[in-house]
Amino acid sequence: MSGFGLLRRHEDAGGYIAVVRPPEQPHGMGAVHRDLSNAPDDVFVVLRADERVVGYCGHVDLGTGIATALAQIVAEEMEVPFSWVRMELGHTGTTPDQGATIASETIQVAAIPLRKAAAQARETLKTLAAASHGVEVCGLHVRDGIVWSGGAEERRRVASVAELLAGRQRIVRLDEGVALKPRAAYRVVGREVPRIDIPDKATGRAVYVHDVRVEGMLHGRVVRPPYHGVEHGRQVGRSLIGVERDSISHLPGIVDVVTIGDFVGVVAEREEQAVAAAEALVIRWRQVGMPDLSDLDAALRSNPSTPRRLLDRGDVDAAIAGAVTRHEADYLWPYQMHASIGPSCAVADWRDGRPLVWSGTQNPHMLRGDLARLVETPEDRIEILRHEAAGCYGRNCADDVCGDALLLSRAVGRPVRVQLSRRQEHVWEPKGAAQLMQVSGALDARGRPVAYAFQTRYPSNVSPLLALVLTRRMDADRPTITQMGDRTSIPPYAYDNARVIVHDTPPIARASWLRGVSAMPNSFAHDSFVDELAALAGADPLAYRLDLLRDERACAMLRALADRAGWVMRHGPRPAIDRTARVLTGRGVGYAVYVHGAFPGVAAAWAAWIADVEVDRLTGVVRVLRVHIAQDAGMMVNPAGVRHQVHGNVVQSVSRVLKEEVTFDATGVTSRDWGTYPILTFAELPDIDVLLMDRPDDPPLGVGESASVPSAAAIANALFDATGVRFRELPLTPARVRPALDRALGVWVGPSEEPVPLPLPLALPRGGGAAGGRPGGTRSLRDLLKLGVVATALVQTASAALPVRPALAPVRRPEAASFDTAAIERGRLLAAAGDCAVCHTAPGGIPNAGGRMMDTPFGQIVTTNLTPDEETGIGRWSFPAFVRAMREGISRDGHHLYPAFPYTSFARMSDADLEALYAYLMTRTAISNAVPATKLAFPYGFRPAMAGWNLLFHDPNPYRPDPSRSAEWNRGAYLVDGPGHCSGCHTPRNGLGAEKSGSAYLAGGEADGWVAPPLGAVSRAPVPWTVEAMVRYLRSGHDAEHGPALGPMAPVVEEMRVLPDEDIRAIAVYLTEGHGRDGNAGPNADDRLSRMALAALREPQGARLFAGSCAACHEGEARHMDGARPDLALNSNLQEDRPDNLIRVILDGAPYAGQRGRGEMPGFRGVLDDRQIASLLRYLRAAHAPGRPGWEGLEGRIAVLRGQSGHAGRGGQ
Amino acid sequence: MIELTVNGRRHRLDVPGDAPLLHVLRNDLALRGPKYGCGLGECGACAVLIEGRVARACAVSCAAAEGRPIVTLEGLAADGRLDPVQEAFIVEQGAQCGYCLNGMIITIRALLNATPAPDEAAIRHALRYSLCRCGTHVEILRAARRACGLDPAGMSP
Repeated sequence: MSGFGLLRRHEDAGGYIAVVRPPEQPHGMGAVHRDLSNAPDDVFVVLRADERVVGYCGHVDLGTGIATALAQIVAEEMEVPFSWVRMELGHTGTTPDQGATIASETIQVAAIPLRKAAAQARETLKTLAAASHGVEVCGLHVRDGIVWSGGAEERRRVASVAELLAGRQRIVRLDEGVALKPRAAYRVVGREVPRIDIPDKATGRAVYVHDVRVEGMLHGRVVRPPYHGVEHGRQVGRSLIGVERDSISHLPGIVDVVTIGDFVGVVAEREEQAVAAAEALVIRWRQVGMPDLSDLDAALRSNPSTPRRLLDRGDVDAAIAGAVTRHEADYLWPYQMHASIGPSCAVADWRDGRPLVWSGTQNPHMLRGDLARLVETPEDRIEILRHEAAGCYGRNCADDVCGDALLLSRAVGRPVRVQLSRRQEHVWEPKGAAQLMQVSGALDARGRPVAYAFQTRYPSNVSPLLALVLTRRMDADRPTITQMGDRTSIPPYAYDNARVIVHDTPPIARASWLRGVSAMPNSFAHDSFVDELAALAGADPLAYRLDLLRDERACAMLRALADRAGWVMRHGPRPAIDRTARVLTGRGVGYAVYVHGAFPGVAAAWAAWIADVEVDRLTGVVRVLRVHIAQDAGMMVNPAGVRHQVHGNVVQSVSRVLKEEVTFDATGVTSRDWGTYPILTFAELPDIDVLLMDRPDDPPLGVGESASVPSAAAIANALFDATGVRFRELPLTPARVRPALDRALGVWVGPSEEPVPLPLPLALPRGGGAAGGRPGGTRSLRDLLKLGVVATALVQTASAALPVRPALAPVRRPEAASFDTAAIERGRLLAAAGDCAVCHTAPGGIPNAGGRMMDTPFGQIVTTNLTPDEETGIGRWSFPAFVRAMREGISRDGHHLYPAFPYTSFARMSDADLEALYAYLMTRTAISNAVPATKLAFPYGFRPAMAGWNLLFHDPNPYRPDPSRSAEWNRGAYLVDGPGHCSGCHTPRNGLGAEKSGSAYLAGGEADGWVAPPLGAVSRAPVPWTVEAMVRYLRSGHDAEHGPALGPMAPVVEEMRVLPDEDIRAIAVYLTEGHGRDGNAGPNADDRLSRMALAALREPQGARLFAGSCAACHEGEARHMDGARPDLALNSNLQEDRPDNLIRVILDGAPYAGQRGRGEMPGFRGVLDDRQIASLLRYLRAAHAPGRPGWEGLEGRIAVLRGQSGHAGRGGQ
Repeated sequence: MIELTVNGRRHRLDVPGDAPLLHVLRNDLALRGPKYGCGLGECGACAVLIEGRVARACAVSCAAAEGRPIVTLEGLAADGRLDPVQEAFIVEQGAQCGYCLNGMIITIRALLNATPAPDEAAIRHALRYSLCRCGTHVEILRAARRACGLDPAGMSP
């Protein structure tokens, strides 16, 4: 609809001037040559009679405020008030195809026709005024949307826009030679203008693509194939075996499951339904092979290359051969991410083959071509409405998700919104490519460089639309290779003999352009190497650069920056590094011009950094303290916007240099969230001082991005200044920095007067703990087998001694009226204290109707129907039969019950209480529910054996109060040991499943696969339990000093809600007795910090994971935050012999359990893999249970528990 | 049926109790302020106020939010006037793409609710687990200081 069709939208204005131009071929990355013979003209500006102006630009605002700057340019040239101007960016239906929004070239390139069009509208206005008022055009000028005659002093109003345009629709072709305003006359451009988009964004009015809601819209989710983050090779599009649609047939709201090649998507009515379906859908994939990225350097070197020789000046080889000093260095840049804060999203409406797509794309016109190919529809039938999205810094998944949405919408014939998950965005976004730079050079006797040979290896195909390759609409067997590794590949320094070779190589992981594409890595090498040469020459690094620069503006900028930062000249590196200092500080410089576009490219703004850094020798943590940055961007359209962009680029590039690195294993990308790919936080923010060169008379240059380019060299050079050690690989994480410093300077042991908890061994045990020993409490299969032999022997002797018990006669179900109401009420409380319903209710079933499967070490037990149904429940049980079951573990029909039914505790109950409980149960609604019989394997399946078991282990006598204790204590003991049957879970069992006695009482056991921690005097809680804390825990399900009730304990707390406060208090009095005699007050703040720091040394990956994935909810005081924020330093699970509870909670989270305001936790099953969770647990154990041995076999245990069905973790939806 | 009180209005909604509050606010109540960022409570883009304190709506189920007053970015303005925190973010231009802006504004509002006169350290602590990828930290800190009655330029960190 571009061209005159678009102008129909302006017919409501009552008149307009439109400036148009015949379409031109788009240029730049990804631009597709198009047949333009019948294409309508592009519209650039429309000046409307109602005093509004719309500017059209094919580039988009990626969150940089470019819409504001473009509006300034239009207002300036058109001479209309800034407030009149609105920009429309990137809609394919209305804006010209100007190629991808890339490389900061919007102002430098895309704005040129816009500016000319605005000028032409102004000139047209004058022409109209001259004609209608009979005056000469040359005597007129436009200002503030009014045409005036005469000079500035005695101007006379001729006509307004409204008057001149009323009823006129004037379409003017752009005259490339139109007169532009001299810069000296600028009033809007160059002025600081607030961003026009921020008020709407600060109030929730802005409509991001994520916010688009269309009538009848459905929600889609995609499931990506198992070659995580790789998009080429024969397996792509050929790995799906099939989906099992039945696996989600029980879920509500499912509309469709769509598969095409390796593309898999689900569509549902509601978003959470789509999420649940995508998680639950069982998909079978073929085994896939992945590129080996375990050694990045080797992977880049062995990747097949097509070399391009871009510079060959003088005779490099001869110069090196004849030089006095030779020097070589390799620099390695990791894969990095855009890591947009909002995962990509799109809405597509198929509209019977004339699709409309709402998109956050960076390249609307290029995307339209891809979509046309994907759905085999002519390009001009597809319209893309571009909305703002979360900031991206190049090609992320914004385009991919449009293909996903379009395929799903086509399948269901309705609009579909697809939101990628955080994990999908992280794993599948086209990464910023890893890069290897190899440099060699030489110095003459005076230390001047005589040769410079530079090679760079860049692996990318700029990433095709993912749906194209997944569906095999595009062949991915052999990826194309792109020539994008050449940005700023030519060194900025005047080396007499110089050679530059760029190796274009195919992608390894999915990679495309990311901010400072290839220029940031190339400059890291150029500007580190020149620093190394300066050090070899014994020269000041800044002066050395100035000597080698032939660019006056660069030199002026560097001098101004040095002045501003107070640069102190040096004579080579520091003579000595203080090996006893814990913190070393240093300062470094970096300089670059970002050259973008196809080689030789176009230079954007000049930029230089002076960075101040410090490194902590103990922890290896590098901090950038301060960045002085200078930029020369020529004339700045909006200086406030430029400063803002420079700040953003400094923060982001510090983040990239210090922290960022995509990780891989044999399954592909393993960076899946903010813990596995951490970025800079407010706590790490450097102080930033921006120096913008004042160049109002020079053409504007791309800003922002160019400010990132010198970052890495400046920071690495500063670290060299501080330590004397060169870092040629990024990022500068503790895991990389500390060992390198220890190797070069010796392990830091600190000044002797300061106590230091080191030295630590350089090679740290993977197990995380020092002491050995098997984790207690876990019964291995072998143990169980051994016990089985003993059990069989016992069974044989014991069952011979005791006969099978008789059945007790069935009775008619007693009438409800036959029970005393007070007894029924007391029975209700006893049933709650005994948690009957917790075990006797199937998931989602009717309370007490039985049918829940319970895993025990002896096999699976099915709980029975406790309702008074006469056929399937206990309706025909007499009271004596009930008492016999409760006290002796014999069913009415005489068969032995297994002690999973805790009659061993219930035996302690008084006759009166048993009567009350019977009254309560018999007056419930009868539910007919026949549950399958429990069948255990031999020997446990032989029920009469339980007679012998009872003889050995069961005491059928009721509770006998201890007269030396208070009534409250006795009440607590009765509730705990009787109806509450706490020992059923919290006391360890012997090989025959009996609770151990003596000191093992409440010493910790197991419940449904969870660790039931020791209670009372043997509790391992770091802060001793008090009565008040225990009451808080039992009443609310959480205590700040101990943590939440999770797993099987959560429903117990929920059941106990009905108990009176006195009973809860009595339980607490009994259970906390004796606790804390040797207790302490928990770790103090200093201890905690040093423990965490030490643990981070031992397990740096775990520490990073904790900071990014966990700390937001688990660390630090936060009165302003909702939820319980459990403090892991105080959580007894970290002290236990087995890590199972932690593993389960990490995998599947902690769902809402009815405790208001307590908070929930999402599961990390889909985000963290076994190795990552193991590392996290090693870190936490070391940090918070320093006296306890490390857990062994963590990864195996995590894999086992992952394989067991947890409740549906909904992490990351 | 779940009953949610959002921006002063009560809504009875036929949604599952375990649906994330974020989805329901966005899809059923057509609110745009809270944004999906990670679904894991890590980044803060989805922040809302629950009983005046900041909560990460992606990690809160509807059932857990029932009966507790919820305020979103849209509900901060009162009597036709923006919340001073919003004003501060506009004045200081505390956004680039603006996707994280919701979380930043809500977090500072909650900080002010809990601590009437926070200092620089409290501000940084409060924002510590709110992620911004564009690197707008300088402007966000200026806005937060302004909202908290401090000199926007602040002291050297």
